[in-house]
Amino acid sequence: MPASNHQDPASDRASPHPSSPRPPTPTGLSGLDAILRGGLPAGRPSLLRGSAGTGKTVIALSFLCHGIAQGETGVFVTFDESPEALLDHAEGFGFPARADLAAGRLRILDMRPQPNEVQVGETIELTAILARIGYALDRLESPRLVLDAIDALESGFADSANLRAELTRVFDWIRERAVTCILTTGEQAEFSARYGLEDYIADCVIALRQDVKDRIMTRVLRIVKRRGGGHGANEYPFLLDSQGIFLIPVTGTTLQARVSSQRLPTGIPGLDAMLGGGGPYAGSTILISGQAGTGKTSISSSIARAVCDTGQLVLYISFEESMDELIRNQGSIGIDLARYSDSADSATGCAGTLVMQPVRAVEFGLEEHLMRIIRSIRVLQPALVILDPVSSLSERRDVSGAKEMLLRLLYLIKEEGVTTLATELLSDDSLGVSHLDVSSMIDVWIKLRRLENDGEMNRLITVIKARGLPISDQVKEFRITPSGLQIIDPYMGEGGIVYGTARIARLAEDEETLEQLRLDLDRAQQLRREIEEIAAASERLNRAERDAKAADLDRQIAQIESRLARITRARAAIKRERA
Amino acid sequence: MNTQRLRLYIAGRTAVADRAIENLRAIAAALESTGWTLEIEVIDILERPQLAEDERILATPMVIKKLPPPVRRVVGDLSEHDKVLIGLDLRP
Repeated sequence: MPASNHQDPASDRASPHPSSPRPPTPTGLSGLDAILRGGLPAGRPSLLRGSAGTGKTVIALSFLCHGIAQGETGVFVTFDESPEALLDHAEGFGFPARADLAAGRLRILDMRPQPNEVQVGETIELTAILARIGYALDRLESPRLVLDAIDALESGFADSANLRAELTRVFDWIRERAVTCILTTGEQAEFSARYGLEDYIADCVIALRQDVKDRIMTRVLRIVKRRGGGHGANEYPFLLDSQGIFLIPVTGTTLQARVSSQRLPTGIPGLDAMLGGGGPYAGSTILISGQAGTGKTSISSSIARAVCDTGQLVLYISFEESMDELIRNQGSIGIDLARYSDSADSATGCAGTLVMQPVRAVEFGLEEHLMRIIRSIRVLQPALVILDPVSSLSERRDVSGAKEMLLRLLYLIKEEGVTTLATELLSDDSLGVSHLDVSSMIDVWIKLRRLENDGEMNRLITVIKARGLPISDQVKEFRITPSGLQIIDPYMGEGGIVYGTARIARLAEDEETLEQLRLDLDRAQQLRREIEEIAAASERLNRAERDAKAADLDRQIAQIESRLARITRARAAIKRERA
Repeated sequence: MNTQRLRLYIAGRTAVADRAIENLRAIAAALESTGWTLEIEVIDILERPQLAEDERILATPMVIKKLPPPVRRVVGDLSEHDKVLIGLDLRP
């Protein structure tokens, strides 16, 4: 049958080839619009294809309802789902679809093929479809149109010899109609190929897919083609749940984070001191890595408390402990997290500043985790998000995928201007080496370590790096006490650096030694002072002795001389008497 | 005397539409002898698109018989008269 036999309704008012390209029409799904560089081609059909359950209808509904929310109108043509089900969907995602329907802003055309129709003769015409759509578009003056599950038409009229020509006419008409339109089809390549949907009809083709890996399903979206405009070329994972569609570009991330000079208190004076005396910068990315039991969660909780105390919001995503466990365990070291939770007595003034989300790492794929975290951050706008421990995301999975996802997560949180505190659980045989390998993204890296010695375990804390802060390069001791967390300077002395009880012992030992040395010193100094005096005294003594000896000798000499003289005189006298 | 009301929906005066009108009229004429009267109303949905909407019509030509229930719908050029009679439940 020649197509010229047909009278195309309402196509005369449409210009088949708009002369100048119009700005794209936003879908209202911010992630998708970013990938599409603004939105779908205006006044052109776009094709959305994917197997059942990939989210085609939800995306199409969002596109339409977003337009209505912006003051436009929309026409939804359904070939598969009932209008009631569609209204339920839309309202489930927060669009007031029934009110829009009643107010004439939304129209749903029920074009489900009716199985009870009897076909007689081989030729049918599908002009009615065009007439109905054209009529609805005209009545609503609608710039947006959705034809959902259009491939259902083919099975509905399978007996018709001229179906192919008629469907081609429908698609040509839609293209000529110059309305911004989403056509959705199941993932049947033959259908879109048969009618040239991808090659000829649609200016933009989006493929949706479900990816199942390690028994975990991830939805991905890819722009197959976008005529007259750029688009991201990757496969983009997206979320589809009761809150609708959520999607973030995989590699469209750029480093445009706001830079803050504000500091974030850690609630641990010793740690603030190690970080130049004021805690880390707000908006920075902090990693605390350490083996089991080194106090990662305790430090995280302490920082959470300090930030909550300033009245700012903290989002605590716990991958290991349930919220009740976390509150109980931290209570044992004097950190009462319950008073910041939503259900706490509002008299404290800080109730509701801590939002805790326990998440099981195995529950979702990496991408879904990432999207859920980012979505929570966008909704809650916290000052600090804690991921404890973020390493649980990389367990039992391909490490490179986890690393890539983690980097992107940290980038994205940074872009939101939110401080991240991530903890990394190191295995005991890791020798303290981080396996996350994301240090390029980390602004402040705090390492905790266990030191087991002489039947005692000590916790050590080091600041590996802190961009833009003068940090302590000393390994300090870190103590978890019932009254809180303390950081203690280590013992440094002759025997090296010592922590814990050994440090106390060494300090006591040193005290004794010092006492002894002081005594020794006094004695030596005294001897030194006395040595001159002794020398002088002995000099005096010697001289006295010498003088005495000399005097004695002089006396002896004089005696001997006088005895000699007396003898000589006596002999002379005798001689004279005899003579 | 048995009178049946039928509505024949067409989308413009196309060759298929004309064939369907002819066929339906021929069927009506054939039924006259059995004491059945078919009242046929031809509706061009290009002129009254809301009616196509109300009846959820996708393809034309389409004959719809509403009474007595259940609703009977036959689509096509109606070239096989027996099938039309069966489809519309018009066997006297």
